[in-house]
Amino acid sequence: MTLLFYVLVILLMIALPVVAGSAARRRLAVPWWLFCTGMATFVASQIYHIPLNLWLTRQGVLGLVSASEPTLPRTALIVGLSAGFCESLARAVGYWLLFRTRRSSQGAHSPADCWEGAVMVGLGHGGIEAMLLAVMMAATISSLWGLRSQDLSTLGLSADQLVAVERQLSTFTASPWLALVPLLERCIAMLLHVTLSVGVWSAFRRRNPLYLLAAVLYHTAFDGLAVYLSQFVSNAWLIEGLLLVLALPGAVWAWALRARTPAVPPIPRMTRVAEWVPFGLSLLKELTQQWRSRRALVLGVVFLVIGMGSPLLAKFTPEMLHMIPGAEQFADLVPTPTVADALGQYVKNLTQFGFILAVLLGMGAVAGEKERGTAALILSKPLPRWAFITSKFVAQALVYLLAFGLAALGAAYYTSLLFEPLAFGPFMFGNLLLWVWLLTFSAVTLLGSTLAPSTGVAAGIGLGGAVVLLLAGSVPRYGILSPAGLVGWASQLGLSVPGATNGGALAASVVWIAVCLIVSVAVFEIQEL
Amino acid sequence: MEAIRCEQLSKTFGDVQALQPLDLAVEAGSIFGFLGRNGAGKTTTIRLLTGLAKPTTGTAWIAGVDTTQIDSVVRQVFGYLPQDPAFYAWMTPREYLDYLTRLFRIDGAERKRRVEEMLELAGLKDAAGRRIGGFSRGMQQRLGIAQAFIHRPPVLLLDEPTSSLDPAGRYEVLELIASLRGQATVFLSSHILADVERVCDTVGIIHQGQLLLVAKRDELLAQYATNVISLEVERPEGLPALDRFVAELQAQSWVTGITSSDNVLRIAVNDPAQSKRALWPLVSKHGLALNRYEWIRPSLEEIFIRLSGGMVL
Repeated sequence: MTLLFYVLVILLMIALPVVAGSAARRRLAVPWWLFCTGMATFVASQIYHIPLNLWLTRQGVLGLVSASEPTLPRTALIVGLSAGFCESLARAVGYWLLFRTRRSSQGAHSPADCWEGAVMVGLGHGGIEAMLLAVMMAATISSLWGLRSQDLSTLGLSADQLVAVERQLSTFTASPWLALVPLLERCIAMLLHVTLSVGVWSAFRRRNPLYLLAAVLYHTAFDGLAVYLSQFVSNAWLIEGLLLVLALPGAVWAWALRARTPAVPPIPRMTRVAEWVPFGLSLLKELTQQWRSRRALVLGVVFLVIGMGSPLLAKFTPEMLHMIPGAEQFADLVPTPTVADALGQYVKNLTQFGFILAVLLGMGAVAGEKERGTAALILSKPLPRWAFITSKFVAQALVYLLAFGLAALGAAYYTSLLFEPLAFGPFMFGNLLLWVWLLTFSAVTLLGSTLAPSTGVAAGIGLGGAVVLLLAGSVPRYGILSPAGLVGWASQLGLSVPGATNGGALAASVVWIAVCLIVSVAVFEIQEL
Repeated sequence: MEAIRCEQLSKTFGDVQALQPLDLAVEAGSIFGFLGRNGAGKTTTIRLLTGLAKPTTGTAWIAGVDTTQIDSVVRQVFGYLPQDPAFYAWMTPREYLDYLTRLFRIDGAERKRRVEEMLELAGLKDAAGRRIGGFSRGMQQRLGIAQAFIHRPPVLLLDEPTSSLDPAGRYEVLELIASLRGQATVFLSSHILADVERVCDTVGIIHQGQLLLVAKRDELLAQYATNVISLEVERPEGLPALDRFVAELQAQSWVTGITSSDNVLRIAVNDPAQSKRALWPLVSKHGLALNRYEWIRPSLEEIFIRLSGGMVL
């Protein structure tokens, strides 16, 4: 029950920015590229914010965050100031670029010049932070879940570490409702980020740097107080309540500013329900296309062959070596194959072929339609561009799901025939993880296809992105959170002795997919056809 | 009432100004011919009107709704036929039209009826079950016209609708467009002057991204009409009297110039009304046997060539 609550909260933390962005897109008539600008300002700020904090810690300016530390007020203040300065600076640079590039082409109607645009930038900034924190939370919960039934004294932790882990574990198991605290915290933080975004925007709009200074100080006060309160107030709900009280005046100020600034010209739009109808129609068309073009069939057959062939290959490799003249001596070096070898072979084959298939099948999805001119004609009808993009991704995802289903059934059957039955439930869950892993490649290829003017360029971008994703797994400390972490996790599922979970990699993959789709829609919304 | 309106609509690609600031109003129910040579800015204008391209400056409205915002709901109010319509090759025309009727939220029996009606209109009834990928350009063009009409929009934007059609197909499409007069507003771009002259009631001429003029077709033809009469006499009976006739004509105050070529005379006049009264008695007096008598009227082609500085389409 507790785990379910946390999983739900993690999913909500990832979905919340997307939902908020969609609502702003509809109600405030602001484009998604402003949301992406907000995401970029947050990511950019962390490039110097994290090293700055590390440097301040090494210099002794930032002390331990502990109630017993006499330097806590100073530490809290500097933590807040560091966040306020770094993030406001990135926002300022973002607005400077926006005002410079957009004003020249769109005059007073530029969304960057409007209050609504500032709100969208704030949602993007706070949104990606919420998503990344969801990843960190998923990694933590995943680790704690694995530690529940373990004897912590056998882990070789120091006394301080042991106390910290025990405290985390007791919080984790105390009440499922506590899982909602991080979600509430992110809601308040997003409100703050919208306020700060409007503040920095006002500095440019009114050509008054005092607004920028106010944004830095407000951020400092908020973060500083959050750090300080966390050491003296044990009730998490009370802390969030106090932070909400601090965030509300700023939000009221930002809201009041709306009436005093020029609004984005209203755009007639379909109702929310009416927008989903074309999405459904487009999805159906995409699925039909996958079937008629025989892509679904080919994919299904390839995956089924991999599924059935992997246990066969694992089982008969030593015997095949025996049959090769001159290789007989190597056959004796191969240990007797086990179910783990069959599963390993299965995962290895699927991952090797999978990402190449994802790139090949996805590269022409958007670029091909742009090249042929079919996109221009169909998008002159009442088909929203977001529906055009996302229906392609969902159709691919469904086809891959079917292919994985076939592969899994084939593998499970032949493994049970040649070795021993796999733990079916965990094995199927492992396949779901591999499916999510494959979708990260599919998403990056779709982004490449959207960015590229032609299928060839899309293939290049897709392959480049795929290589980056594959290499990300080798990055020290953080590689475990890359989509490659899912492959390691899936490789153990189905065996009688399950290994460590990696919820962080799963959440990171979902975030990666969401970000790729948001950027794809944002780019496609402003592309000319 | 205006069906289409543009205010300072312009488009620049790098250093090239594809469309100079355009102010244009097209009356509801009219058939507007947008004339220009290749690269004049016709397609750019239509892409801006449909929202498929973003204007560098200005705004455009169709049926009172701003269409320059990409991804808005206004696609209900117009039908669009691009210069080279492209379809999903794996679909049949019936499936494609059905897909569109669903996007336009046309329900049930009406949807089926509309699809069959459009297949009939496009002459694709017999090919309704074939893959579009195997269609000729002409068939694709006809399907393109059907898809533009399918939701019976109040405004139709047609970019070179007859360019890929054979003479019979061209005739049918022009008849169809003409039949829409008063029911829908048609904005038709073309470089085929005869087509525009035949069906359009209003004409706009664009050259090198600049709108040169907008006028009613008949007013335009009248405005540029030349006061020239052409006479062709029967040979050889009329020829002996022709020199005497020319000599007397040159003495008339309403004649400003005469050119002759074999048995054809071109008489420029300064007073059409007087010339109509005085010419016939002179013809009769000299006993000329006439094959043809015609007041010379310029074609749109001649007007266009004059306006665009002698550029040939």
